[in-house]
Amino acid sequence: MSAEKVDEIREALKAVIDPELGQNVVDLGLIYEIEVIDDCVVRISMTTTTRGCPATGYLKQAVQDVAWAVPGVEFADVELTYDPPWSPSFIAPEIAGLLGGR
Amino acid sequence: MPGASLSRWTLTYFACALACLVAAEALMVMGFGYPGAAIEAPETLILVHLVAIGWLSLLLCGALFQFVPVLVARPLLGEELPPVALAFVLLGLGVLLSGFAAMAGIIVVPLEVMPLGGLLLVIGFGLVIVSLGRTLWAARPLAMPARFVVVGLAALAATALFGESFALILSGLVGGEAALSLLLNGVPLHALLGLGGWMSFTAMGVSYRLLAMFMLAPETERFSTSIVLIIGTLTLVLIAAATPFAMAAGGGVGGMLLAAAVTGLCALGVYGSDMLALYRQRKRRNIELNAVAAIGAFAALLAAGLLLVFLLFAGSLPAHVGALTYLFAFGWLGGLGLAKLYKIVAFLTWLECFASVLGKRQTPRVQDLVDERHAAPWFGVYYAAVGLGTLTLLVDLALAFRFFAFMQLVATLAIIRHLYRSRELLNVPADLRRGFARPHPFWPQPIARKLP
Repeated sequence: MSAEKVDEIREALKAVIDPELGQNVVDLGLIYEIEVIDDCVVRISMTTTTRGCPATGYLKQAVQDVAWAVPGVEFADVELTYDPPWSPSFIAPEIAGLLGGR
Repeated sequence: MPGASLSRWTLTYFACALACLVAAEALMVMGFGYPGAAIEAPETLILVHLVAIGWLSLLLCGALFQFVPVLVARPLLGEELPPVALAFVLLGLGVLLSGFAAMAGIIVVPLEVMPLGGLLLVIGFGLVIVSLGRTLWAARPLAMPARFVVVGLAALAATALFGESFALILSGLVGGEAALSLLLNGVPLHALLGLGGWMSFTAMGVSYRLLAMFMLAPETERFSTSIVLIIGTLTLVLIAAATPFAMAAGGGVGGMLLAAAVTGLCALGVYGSDMLALYRQRKRRNIELNAVAAIGAFAALLAAGLLLVFLLFAGSLPAHVGALTYLFAFGWLGGLGLAKLYKIVAFLTWLECFASVLGKRQTPRVQDLVDERHAAPWFGVYYAAVGLGTLTLLVDLALAFRFFAFMQLVATLAIIRHLYRSRELLNVPADLRRGFARPHPFWPQPIARKLP
């Protein structure tokens, strides 16, 4: 049941776009971990492409809002982490070409 | 509000800086100052300070208020200082320029206004240093790019104090042999600490981080970057240490500056190879216009370095220092400034307009705010004008220089028009911008009052 909820939340988070790269935070590899407790409490661990980016607060808020809006979710907590620091190698292979990745 | 590290006054700084750039270019088109007048003429001093303080320093201050918090991943301390600093710098610049205008016989004001202008500038830049310095101090230990900014701010302080000393001497308030000797021999130190220390060193430090960020290049700290920091700082120390020689009539400044030229060129060489490595290691193959246009600035820096070496060996540096300074200020610093503005303005505008609804409704990307296809040729025109303008200065063709200055002015105005279009969301497809309020082109939004 929790695994399905994780997938549901992951799918919902694709609505959040990194404004700089123009791709969603899931495919960019910015979402490190999604944990669902008792089917209603969500803990998300995420990062940003660069530490100190002025959009960081907005991205974190957007991820929390979207996760909270998933049916059945009663609380969503988002933790920002830079361990490990994000690397372009985290980008999903399907969209790597869109960024002109090597 | 999340993302509180959005600098409220940065766009106002940029607008004032661009106004000064346009004014300076218009003066060059009209034949005001060098090369029509001597390089030490008051008319040239008006032009030089309009560019150095009005255009480049305000641009850099505005950018640093936004990017020092990014470099250290902490909010800016002393958020109330940027508008106060801006007012002091603008007022100080106006008063200083009126003093130069009085020296040129254009207007009648007592020469004592010059040290007043200098003092206002010292206070204004002092406030900038306090705000950024506190932020940097609180973030120790500092990453490499931030250390460049620290050295740059120290050079800014030295430059401003040099300037105020000159203003006191020129107005006659301070006299004596040492003062006169400083005025005669110390101007290169003032210029080098300003253009080389404050502006170039700071821009170099920030470029390491910004280019890596926007091109998805590895942000690892290279040993070579430490070399640039150490040798570059040594260069600036050598320049500052020449001050006692400048005050003593016996000379010795030339030897110190020659040593600084050697270390400075070494630092620039290593910096150039670092930038080349960043471009080569980038993960984003299709780089944006800001990174493409920055290549022109790096080329201008390389050309200025080669020109310096050539002029030193030819023994004709004093005769062509104007051409070299023009290439350095407008090609390297100005070119890099315009290139980065093209990105920063769009990015800040996106944050102001769309960040708060991220995830709630469809928003454009930052790239949707710009029109690179139509903007790119104007950067080419700008660099071509600066390059050809430098050549005309080298061969003493004053009238031809004015033509290329006009070309430069037209390119600048076209780039400003593109910046304006970004701010007004004019490049964003109508269906994506519907329902969003456009920000003021350069004035900060009022802070939302909290209900009691």
